[in-house]
Parts: sequence; C-alpha cells; structure tokens
Amino acid sequence: MMAHLEAEGIPGGITAGKVAVWWFLASEIMVFGGLITSYIVFRLGGSGWAEASHHLSMTLAATNTLVLLTSSYTIVQAFVAAERGGATALRMYLGLTILGGLIFLGIKAVEYTTEIRAGFTPDAGIFWSFYYTMTGLHALHVLGGIVVNGVVLVTEGRGVKNPHRVELAGLYWHFVDVVWIFLFPLLYLA
Amino acid sequence: MIMATAEHVEHGFWTTYIFSTDHKTIAKQYLAQGLFWTLVGGLLAGAMRWQLAWPDTPIPLMGEIGPEVYNTLVTMHGTIMVFFVAMPILLGAFGNFLIPLMIGARDMVFPRLNMLSVWTFALASLVMLASFLVPGGAASAGWTGYPPLSAKAAYTGVHWGLNLWILGLALEFASFLMGGINYLTTVIALRAPGMTLTRVPLAVWQQLAAATLFLLSVGPLIGGAVMLLLDRTLDTGFYSPDLGGDPLLWQHLFWFFGHPEVYVVLLPALGFVLEVLPVFSRKPIFGYRWIIGATVVAAALSFIVWAHHMFISGMDPRLAMPFSVTTILISVPFAYVVFAMIATLWRGSIRFDVPMLWALGFLTMFIVGGLTGIFNGSAPADLYVSRTYFVVAHFHYTLFSAVVFGGFAGVYYWFPKMFGRMLNGPLGHLHFWLTLIFFNVTFFPMHHIGLAGMVRRIANPLQYDGLVPHQWLNVLATYGALCLLAAQIPFVISILWSWLAGKPAPRNPWNAASLEWAAPSPPPHLNWGPSVPRVYRGAYEYSVPGEREDWLPQDLAPIARP
Amino acid sequence: MTSGKTHPNYTAIWLWLMALVGLAVAASFLPGGRTFAVLVIFATAFVKAILVAANFMHLRFEPALIYALVLIPLLFLVVLATALLPDFVWHSLAR
Repeated sequence: MMAHLEAEGIPGGITAGKVAVWWFLASEIMVFGGLITSYIVFRLGGSGWAEASHHLSMTLAATNTLVLLTSSYTIVQAFVAAERGGATALRMYLGLTILGGLIFLGIKAVEYTTEIRAGFTPDAGIFWSFYYTMTGLHALHVLGGIVVNGVVLVTEGRGVKNPHRVELAGLYWHFVDVVWIFLFPLLYLA
Repeated sequence: MIMATAEHVEHGFWTTYIFSTDHKTIAKQYLAQGLFWTLVGGLLAGAMRWQLAWPDTPIPLMGEIGPEVYNTLVTMHGTIMVFFVAMPILLGAFGNFLIPLMIGARDMVFPRLNMLSVWTFALASLVMLASFLVPGGAASAGWTGYPPLSAKAAYTGVHWGLNLWILGLALEFASFLMGGINYLTTVIALRAPGMTLTRVPLAVWQQLAAATLFLLSVGPLIGGAVMLLLDRTLDTGFYSPDLGGDPLLWQHLFWFFGHPEVYVVLLPALGFVLEVLPVFSRKPIFGYRWIIGATVVAAALSFIVWAHHMFISGMDPRLAMPFSVTTILISVPFAYVVFAMIATLWRGSIRFDVPMLWALGFLTMFIVGGLTGIFNGSAPADLYVSRTYFVVAHFHYTLFSAVVFGGFAGVYYWFPKMFGRMLNGPLGHLHFWLTLIFFNVTFFPMHHIGLAGMVRRIANPLQYDGLVPHQWLNVLATYGALCLLAAQIPFVISILWSWLAGKPAPRNPWNAASLEWAAPSPPPHLNWGPSVPRVYRGAYEYSVPGEREDWLPQDLAPIARP
Repeated sequence: MTSGKTHPNYTAIWLWLMALVGLAVAASFLPGGRTFAVLVIFATAFVKAILVAANFMHLRFEPALIYALVLIPLLFLVVLATALLPDFVWHSLAR
C-alpha cells in the first residue's frame, strides 16, 4: 500500500477529483462536439437527410430520452442519499440509475436490430453512417457509465465512505445524458 | 497545504520497476520507450534518405524498395517521431519527472492513473509494432492519413496495418489524455506552501499549456478517426463523395488537432530552454509573466490557424485569407518568447556547459525554422512551396529544434537529478557539435530542393527530369543524415560511461534556484523528507544585488535582518 | 464538496425536463412552418442541457475554472463549425 496523498482542496472549495473529471469532460465535449459539428454541416449542405431520418423510431427514442433524463435524476438523488450517509437509499437510487442505463441500451438494441433488418445498415447512406457512429459511440459511453456506477454501487453501497465518488460518477453520467439531449433532436426530430 | 502520511513500505522488484506508481519511475519508463522509438524512427529516416539519394540501389538490411514500401517508411517515420518519440519524451518523461519536484509535491495527485497512462502507452507501442508485422505491412497513407487513400484498403494494399495504426494512435491519445488530466490537476492541487502560480517555473507552465492544447484539440480527430476506421471496415461513406461524404472533412478534423499538436511538441521544449538559459547566464529569465501571457495567446491562436495546412487542398478559397492572417499573428507571441530568451542572455555571465549549448542550438535553429514558417503561412507563397521539401525543411528546423535540441538540453541538464550521476562533459560537447553540424547539412539543402520543385513523399526523384541536376542536394542531405545518426553515438557512450564510471552527482551541480534541485540526486520515493519544502520566492533569482551568492534557491528562508 | 449548500429542487427540474421532451416531440408534429418547429425543438434541447448542467452537475455552484472548461470547448466547436461552412454548406466555387 502506498503512501496516502490528500489534496486538501483548491481555491473555490473544489476537490482534485472534480477538477480532473471536468477536464475529462472538456475533452469529451470536443469528441462528441466534433462528430456533431461534422453531422450538422454535412446535413445543412446535403439533401435526403430528413427522409432518411423518418425511418427511425421517434417513439423509441423519445422513450429513451425520458429514461436517460430520469436516470440523471436518480443519480443525483443517489448523491443526496450518499451525503446523508443513507446506504439503503443510495443502493436504490444507484440501482435505478443502472437500470435506466440498461433500458436505454436495450431500446437501442431493438432500434438497431429493426433498422438493420430493414436494410438500413451503416453503409446504406451518409445519414445512416452518422447515425450509427454517433449513437454507437454514445452507447459505448453509456455502457462505460453503467460499469462505473456499478463499481460505485459496490464500493459505497455497503456503507457510505466516500460520497464524493457518487458525485463524480454522477458528473460523467449527466454528461452522457446531455450528449443524448442533443443527439435526439439532431437525429430524430429535425 | 498538503498532508502526506508516508509509511515505509517494502516494494518488491515488480512494484518498484514495472508496476510503479512513482512519477520518477514512470518518467523513466516513458523515456525508455521514447528512446527505443527514436532508434526505430531514426533508422526509418536513414532508409528513406538512402532511397532518395540512390534510388535504384538496395538499402542496407532492406533490399530494393518500391514506392509502396517507401510510403510506409515515410508514414511510420512521421507517426513515430511525433507520437512515439516527441510526446513520450518531452511530455511523458519530463512532465512526469519535473512537475511534482518543481512544485514541491510528493507525487502526482493520481499516481495509479499515472501508472495506467504509461501502461496504455506501452500497449499503444505494441499495437504499432504489430502493425509492421501483419500481412500488407504497416500504414502507408502518410502520418496525416488522408482519405481516399487511407479509407479503402484496396488503395494502399495495406489492410490491418492501417487499422492497427488507427487503434495504436487511439490508445496513445488515451494515454496522454490521462496524463494531461493528471498534470493539470496536480499543479492546481498539490503546490507546496508558498508556491503560488506566479512562482511556478516556466517548464511547468509550458507542460500545462501543452496538456491543455492536447486535451482540447484531440477530440475532433478522435471522431474523425472513428469515422475513418468505419469507412475502412464497415464501408461507411464519411470520406467518399459517391456515398455522400467528403475527403476534405478529414483534413479539417485532422489539422484542427494537427496544428495545436505541433505546439504540444514545441512548448515543453521551450520550457526546458527557458529553465536552462537563466541558470547558465546567471540572470533571471526576462519577462516571466509576459512569457506566460504569450504562451496563452499562442495556445489560443493555435486553434484558429489550422487551414494553413490546407491551402492547396481544394478547400474554399475564401478561407485562405483569414487563416493566413491568424497564422501571421501567431508568430508574434512566439517572437516575443524568442526575444525574451535573447534578452535573458544579454549581458549575462554565460557558462557554456553542455545543457547551455543545446539551449543555444535550439534558439538559433528555431529562429531559422520560424522564419520559413512565415513563407509557409502566407497563402500566396504557400501555393508554391506546399507539399515540397521546403515544408519538410521548415518543420524539421522547428520540430528538430524542439525535440532534439530542446530535448537534449533537458536530458543533459536534468540527468544528474534523474539518475544521480554526471554525464561525460567532453562527449557531450562532441555530441552537440556533431549534431548541430550534421543537422544543418541534412536539412538546409531541403529548402533549395523544395524550391526547385521536389515534392514530398516521392520515392525516386530521378524520375523527374527537372530534379536530376539538383540530385546532388539529395545526396548531400543523405550523407548529412547518416552522419547525424552516427553523431548520436557519443551520447550512447556517455550514458554507458556514466552508468559504469560516472561521478555521483551532487544535489545541485548547476547552482540552480528552482525547487527540484533542493531534492537529493536522485530524489527518494516521495521526494522530500519529513515535510515538503516551503517556498519563498520565484524560480529565477540569480545575481540578486546585495546577496553573497549569485543564486537564491526557492526554498531558502529569508534571513531576518534587524 | 457541495454538502451544506442548499440543493436545487431536483424533482422540479426533473419534471421540467420531462415537459420539455414532450414539447419537443409535439413541436415536431406541428403543421406549417418547419423552421419554427426546428427552432422550438433545439431551444428545448439547449434549455434541457442547461438545466442538467447547472443543477444536476452543480455548475452554478462551481468556481470560474469549471465554467471555462465547458465554455471554451464550445467556443472552439463554434470556430470549427464556422470554418466548415464554406466547404460543406456554402459549396465552394470549385464545385
């Protein structure tokens, strides 16, 4: 076991972990932002995108949006529970968050299967290429978030030792949610 | 304030040398990997130069090569030098070693993340090595990987080599993202008492600027690389016009990152030189705050110059003027830094120790490279010189200055602190002078042959009648390159000599004022004894009037005068 | 750590988020002006994102450095988008 290093805090009362997560999120903004920017300019300059997007299921995607937004709500409640030291409430809310993520991925799987069976594969057109790339990369990030939330559930669920971890996991999860907040209208509604 | 409870822990071989979380060991792991790749990248360059000088002759150890293999040499030379030599050495090794010591911390704020980042880099290296061994060979679409050539395996004949190239770079990006987050958070969180941001040495500021540039610029390329990989594997059409895509998108996304990336490579080296010059002039650095300001301005501007790499790409001509303007503007902050360096030397008490020689070599060679940048950055002039060897000369004068002259300035300067031994002085002088001479013999002729019309990435210049009279320049450059490779031998001997017979290094062989010299050479695990140092002044207090010594260490308590 | 500060009313924020999704979906079925519908849809997206960022992610309580980490990347993306417009939207003279 190595020596324990504790950063007491940086001006503003913010912790090192939070600074690190926000730097990470800044780089992630650039990743998704780059893809989304490319999509937007291509779409504005091209044709046939709106017709292609009509083959997507707006119902499933709207459901997914509600699911993900709700899971953001549950993870922030998990943090509130963690701050109070309520391990039972923490387990419930984190569990609900993980469940939300799994439902999201499940619905996406249904979408992908339906679309591919109908012949809308990634190489079926430029709209589909962007659709699968953006939602696929997003789904991988959702999966990563589920894993992180699971780890936090295991380490903090038996007795809250470090509520800060829940907050940090929440920051990442909210970010993934915000990306979807933009993907939904960009791909499904416009 | 930092609370550090140090326990004496027994570390076995594996946790001391292989799976270490100590920033100093991790630094050496980055350095070792970087030096390995320097050898590979240098040999690739030697093979390239041999082919260019004597196109119809077999290359030693390789045989006769055709254009496809030559493309692979060119591609991997560039990729390796930028991502597997410059970044691991300048950022990974020196950033890791210096940052905690210079700010008075015991380690990075996330030591295990640090270990993960160096192991991710090792994985990236393995993937890149594997790319040489798969059928079809390694990537051959240029270090810039432009589609359509890179988007379809059939165009290059390289299938898995290019896919692995993309994956290897993705892993390298992940490694440096992790490292960058660690560096930034560490400097924000773990500075010793009294170490305000305006007392932090410039080497650290430059590491932070480089980390920030990388963190904020690599995202769009990651997106673009995913798109390229999908074009190659799933037949998507991001970069294919007949499928609704556009190859120009890649160029924009690549260079949006690519330009900040060259400053990611340059800034750490600037930092080393900015540390060395004051020490060996016995004068404070000139304009410390303005240098930081200039760095921030240059870093910000670096995000709005990228299309100067695309003047002849067929992009909208209306973009040429704005990007020329911003490119000329960015020369201003860098010129300030150069002037500040010269002003630091002015009327200084110059010592020509080996680190200083390298720093002066950086300064002079970088000025040459910077001057040709002005021609490259103006669209009308660039229309003529783009894609020629004039550009190759420009970026070697700037990048080589950074990686080699700046890098060796850092190596010779901090070697005693890192390894506890001195390097051999005479061998160091020999290494420097030979490198300086043969660097110029290799790269200066490229200005001429570029202006004469030799374009980049061609395997046989003699197939162009107009180039035949200028071929002697290629031959000259090749002799220079081979001698340049040989000129590194004194350095290798010096390392061996130091290991076998080198003098133990004192704590502060250069009488330098910054905080890392307050630690033993080499520093022990957790760097400082029972408590971290307390800092009382900036890092450049040399020749202070009224003081007995010509330097004041940062951690020397002021004597109370009655 | 944000303990000790008054929390935003997370439940109220969540209800607003649900309502905004409903509004966006409804707007996409609006007859008539496509432009107006698109404006409403993206306006709801921005509002939702700001609600999540400011409240769930506690941005409104964080120091300036954190704001900068969000705003500066967005600024760079605007730069990127602007530079891409001539080539991909305003189709250049060469095409």
